[in-house]
Amino acid sequence: MIRALIGLLISGASLWGGSQQPLLQPAEFNVNSRYTIEAVELPREVASGISRALREDLENLIGQKFNPAAMNEVARRIRDELNVRKVVPRLLRGSSPDQVKVVMDVAGKRVDLSVPQLLYESNEGLSAAVNGTLIAGDNRFTAGLISDGDELVERYTGIRTRYENRHLGSDGIRFRFEFDSYHEQWNRSTLNALGQSTEGADLYRTRQNFEPMITIQVAKPLTVSFGAGFQRFETEVPGERAQFANAAITNVQYLQQFEGGVFDQQVLQADYNLRIATKALDSDFAYTRHRWEVRYTIAQGRQSFSDEAVAGFIAGPAPLFERFQLGTSSMLRGWNKWELDPMGGSRMLYNSVEYRYAFFEAFYDAGAVWDPGQDMIVRHSLGVGVRKNSVLVATAFPIRGGRASPVFMVGMNY
Amino acid sequence: MAGIGATLLIGLAPTAGVRLRGDDLRLDGDDLRVSVPTTFRFISGKPLEKLKDGATLEYLAQLSVSASSEVTAPLVRPAVNRFVVSYDVWEERFSVTSTVLERATASHLSATAAEGWCLDHLPLGIDGVPRDKPLWIKLEVRAEDARDQTGLFGPSSINLTRLIEVFSNPARTQQMHWEASAGPVRLEDLKRERRSSRSG
Repeated sequence: MIRALIGLLISGASLWGGSQQPLLQPAEFNVNSRYTIEAVELPREVASGISRALREDLENLIGQKFNPAAMNEVARRIRDELNVRKVVPRLLRGSSPDQVKVVMDVAGKRVDLSVPQLLYESNEGLSAAVNGTLIAGDNRFTAGLISDGDELVERYTGIRTRYENRHLGSDGIRFRFEFDSYHEQWNRSTLNALGQSTEGADLYRTRQNFEPMITIQVAKPLTVSFGAGFQRFETEVPGERAQFANAAITNVQYLQQFEGGVFDQQVLQADYNLRIATKALDSDFAYTRHRWEVRYTIAQGRQSFSDEAVAGFIAGPAPLFERFQLGTSSMLRGWNKWELDPMGGSRMLYNSVEYRYAFFEAFYDAGAVWDPGQDMIVRHSLGVGVRKNSVLVATAFPIRGGRASPVFMVGMNY
Repeated sequence: MAGIGATLLIGLAPTAGVRLRGDDLRLDGDDLRVSVPTTFRFISGKPLEKLKDGATLEYLAQLSVSASSEVTAPLVRPAVNRFVVSYDVWEERFSVTSTVLERATASHLSATAAEGWCLDHLPLGIDGVPRDKPLWIKLEVRAEDARDQTGLFGPSSINLTRLIEVFSNPARTQQMHWEASAGPVRLEDLKRERRSSRSG
């Protein structure tokens, strides 16, 4: 495993008192306390996931005499920050006989029950999800329940299951298979709009999704995923045969974090998702769906600023769950998505800027969703909120001709 | 000495019980000492893995004698001690420190030698114990649980008391522990060795 080298000096006193190791264990009882630490090694994904303060403390251990209590304390802090099952410091010989190096072994949880996700948005009502994951080595089995009225034009309720292997012959290759089964509910605006539509989209009452995917880490910041999505749905018309939207899927993600320099931290994330549904995959629909997203965040002390830009394009008739939405809890907040486009759109542009100071956040969203032949109308919204850990309480104001009527949102882990 | 082996019966503990052989017990003046039985390896398995990873391990040890296999109350105050063990990653040898009965350290030891050193520093004073009566002897070693530590580094009398209290309770479910026992055995049948020091 590739490990990032990290070091640190710590005053032993500041790290005494951890709960993992005996409080009253003098360092000199360990015969290795005469050796000097030349390096502290962490798995790369761990090094990038811990706080800057902890990383600095680790870096400061380098050059100090080995102190098992201090090591156990930093291991405990890593475990707490990453919420993993176990972090064990292992001592190895260094490059010379008076030096040693410490390797932090990180073991994930065997069972991970996610904190429930809850969202209330005054236009959409309540959405909720809960997941449980069983972890066996590199394998993860996840199952969960969801009822989501936010993400798509429909409300979908059902189960989500997923198997994931995070080490398919190599650390850089992952395999995932997902099976979902949903029951759909439709908003009256959608039902009305569908009667006048020429898009050819149909309602469906149930939907199942089979989705095998392979993810390859091409380089440190770049991962590429490819696979297929087999969506089967039953229409609202009794007796009519099930329809299929089978698509080849490609996803490219670039994620780069920078630390130091002008700002404490900068994060650049870019995603491109492509879905090509074709008759060759026995699909009843033939379409191509592109989605681009770029997000850039800078953080300085307790402040952060981010800009997110998203664009979407669908060529060909696509089922309703593929169409783009704005006016959700995360995009063009405050607007009613059924009012913007009750069937979703095949074209979408969106940008959001967000400023946070400690718990407080303010945002400005702008975007448009439309179909060919329609005018592209850009809408705007402003909002403020308070975010503490995973809980967000926000009010968003959709701006319509200088008039803004507030929409209330409360979310946990959304 | 003759026939000692025949007089030793199994006093198996519920878990990890080991039978002490006659050669494992010896008298040293007014002290009873135990050698490491070949099947009694407490620096092995997971503890050994932890030590080789640079951890410091602490062991609590108790040697006691009672008049019956059924009665757990010891005839005399048990010998108790606490040992801190670590493993030199460069020299690949063990270091042991005795922290309760007397502060002593040994280093450059193999695993077996480190175990022997620990038991050598666990002398059971047998003043007043009848030499011709059948006795049951029990050796118990536990990997120390962090919850047992309060007060262990205080004045020595408190330490001993606290240690005996620890052994008065069964080992916790997750706690590594090792037990060996012998009995019935008569002190007069045990081999003797002359040593300059005796238990405090």
